[in-house]
Amino acid sequence: MINFDGKLAAFSYDLMDRLNQWDALRTKMVRGVPAEFTRDEWAYLVNFVSVDHLYDCVEKSFGQEEVCEPMSLMRPRGPIAIWLPSNVSLLGPLVLILSSFAGVPMRVKAGSKSNDLCAAFVQFVIDNLGEGELRDYLRDQVKIERFDRHDPRNAEMAVNASVRIAFGSDAAMAAIHALPHPVDSIGISFGDHRSEAWVEADALDDAAVTTLMKVFAIYGQAGCTSPRRVVVLGGSEADCHALRDRMLKLWPTTMKADAPMHIASLNVMHAQLNAASGWDVKLTNRNGAVLGVGPVDKAEMSGLMSLAIVSGTIEQAVAMLPPNIQTIGHNVADYSMLLPVIAKTKAKRFVPVAQMHHFGPVWDGQNFFRQLFEEVAL
Amino acid sequence: MQQTSNPSCGATGLLSEPPFSARDDATLLREMNELSRWHLSGCDAYRAVWPSFAEAQSFAELPSLHVGVFKHRIWRTNGEGIAHQRTLKSSSTSGTSSQIALDGRSGALQAQSSAAILKDLLGADQRPLLILDDVKSLQQRGEVSARVTAAMSLRPLSTEMHFLLSGSENAQSLDWNKVGELCAKSPRLLVYGFTWMLWMGWAQGTIPDDVRAAMAKTQVFFVHSGGWKKLEAMKVSREQFDGALCGMCAPGSGVLDFYGLVEQVGIIYPLCSAGFRHVPRWASVIVRDPWTMQPLIGEPGMLQLMNPLAFGAPYHNVLTEDMGRMVEGDCKCGRTGQRFELLGRMPKAEVRGCANV
Repeated sequence: MINFDGKLAAFSYDLMDRLNQWDALRTKMVRGVPAEFTRDEWAYLVNFVSVDHLYDCVEKSFGQEEVCEPMSLMRPRGPIAIWLPSNVSLLGPLVLILSSFAGVPMRVKAGSKSNDLCAAFVQFVIDNLGEGELRDYLRDQVKIERFDRHDPRNAEMAVNASVRIAFGSDAAMAAIHALPHPVDSIGISFGDHRSEAWVEADALDDAAVTTLMKVFAIYGQAGCTSPRRVVVLGGSEADCHALRDRMLKLWPTTMKADAPMHIASLNVMHAQLNAASGWDVKLTNRNGAVLGVGPVDKAEMSGLMSLAIVSGTIEQAVAMLPPNIQTIGHNVADYSMLLPVIAKTKAKRFVPVAQMHHFGPVWDGQNFFRQLFEEVAL
Repeated sequence: MQQTSNPSCGATGLLSEPPFSARDDATLLREMNELSRWHLSGCDAYRAVWPSFAEAQSFAELPSLHVGVFKHRIWRTNGEGIAHQRTLKSSSTSGTSSQIALDGRSGALQAQSSAAILKDLLGADQRPLLILDDVKSLQQRGEVSARVTAAMSLRPLSTEMHFLLSGSENAQSLDWNKVGELCAKSPRLLVYGFTWMLWMGWAQGTIPDDVRAAMAKTQVFFVHSGGWKKLEAMKVSREQFDGALCGMCAPGSGVLDFYGLVEQVGIIYPLCSAGFRHVPRWASVIVRDPWTMQPLIGEPGMLQLMNPLAFGAPYHNVLTEDMGRMVEGDCKCGRTGQRFELLGRMPKAEVRGCANV
């Protein structure tokens, strides 16, 4: 057992060996991108499974490894069940990777109508990892299936799980947690959230603007961690136009791949709908996105690839946060000045813009990784 | 903004000649410019989309709306002589219908337009019209469906109309006794239905022997619209479809597939014998690159359809989500002017996110 700051972690395997096996996989991963993944998704996974990153996740949950008087024993709660909806992004494989550290049987229900990234990733690992404990675990104890929400296997998963992890709408998560389950099991919900970016005009050099564009463009409004709105704190409408103009100028060199044809078409539609609603909109190069400038209190822009740019005071920004705010990405001179404000919001994450999509053990306001373990007082 | 007077447009002038006779694009462009300004002055939302439009020198420069915008808000143009009536609703495969605010003035021109196009293909003689729909579809207050609108476009070619279904979505509820009666009474019939409904209800229907015998002596012209999406899923080819329908009727029977949108009501694009869609002289079509919006000739792209017949809302010029290809030169079918090949709906790629869309 490893002593993390007084917490003895009872892993059923050798942690360093497990971490090294994940890390060893990276040499195979960099050879090509499986068809199911985009290049960005695969690159993120390559970094995610590095020994340094995964060990950091463990430390963030349990504390730093050190010799001190043990205070408690961390023991895996038991079997884990994960429900992924159809359009869920890379979050599926990422949750699976972290959850695998509990070393317990895991059953995953993948979306019934989309590419199943979890199964594709696990199969890649099994096919490419040499004989060893991690491969045996993924092959023998992780079961990934595709079925719909009415399938009786949903109930089977719930009744046999010590931990239920559910992604989806509020209604979908409520339905999952309403299934009969052991009284001492726990439910973890990753629901419908929205995110935005807070920036200061003076803190935005071209690199920062480029980062903001990239972070937005990965998923557009489909990503719960994607900014739907950029608030230029303490700025003016002219600052918003200036930022929009810089984004329009940088777009062709930053976004080299075309949007899918139907997304380009929808962007034309949403540019018109948002203009009709009073937004000052412009389409980026090759109809890749819709950038709109408007007042801070205006209802949000519609469209998967629509990004609103508004200016306002910190108080106005807080007042207009959506009730389901998840991540606020910041690009400001001194973010620590904003912490007292953040403390009064419902934001679950307050991170640099570049890290808005970075997944970790602390998610949606809780350390879900740590909750896969129960704590035994010593 | 001050409402301009009703455009003195000569749409009726363009309609006075046969639909596929010599084009007068200068007149059409002038009418489209006038109509665009009419909508800009009478529709605030449209003006917000195209705030600086003044005059187009070509069809490609005219302001248009993406068809999808009609699914998200009701667009209305107010002005002299415009009385909005019912709302035309599209059939929906995505769950959301387009809604078009109809008005009397446009309706009269649109009816004249569709009748002229259909007469060019079906001839002017009248015959009983059988419609694969429920008569209750006519009675919805304030709304009219795309199917009823398409069926009504055949009204000028009919002596009488009969609705054959007892449930608008139930193709199996087809009243074969009525079909038998009409076959016995008239040697020629006109039948309209959505494509999938004609296949499910008529071609695949259980037809009583006596009706089948009567039909074999009747010349039937089947007119259908609504697209091939459902039939493609069922792996039914156009040849199978046409063969199944005509095979049970007297020689000389035929099938006419037309393409049309509720957002372009009044303009229909029947498939000609050479496999192309011809553009009437009072309409124009552009194919655009989806990423640059540049007009394309001979290459596939997004179809943009326009006509000067819509006054009550700015649906006179719409960018569709259908793919097409403009074809130059004269058609083997004998028609001249603009023509295009319809290539189907725009392909869709999976959108990934976090379960919140």
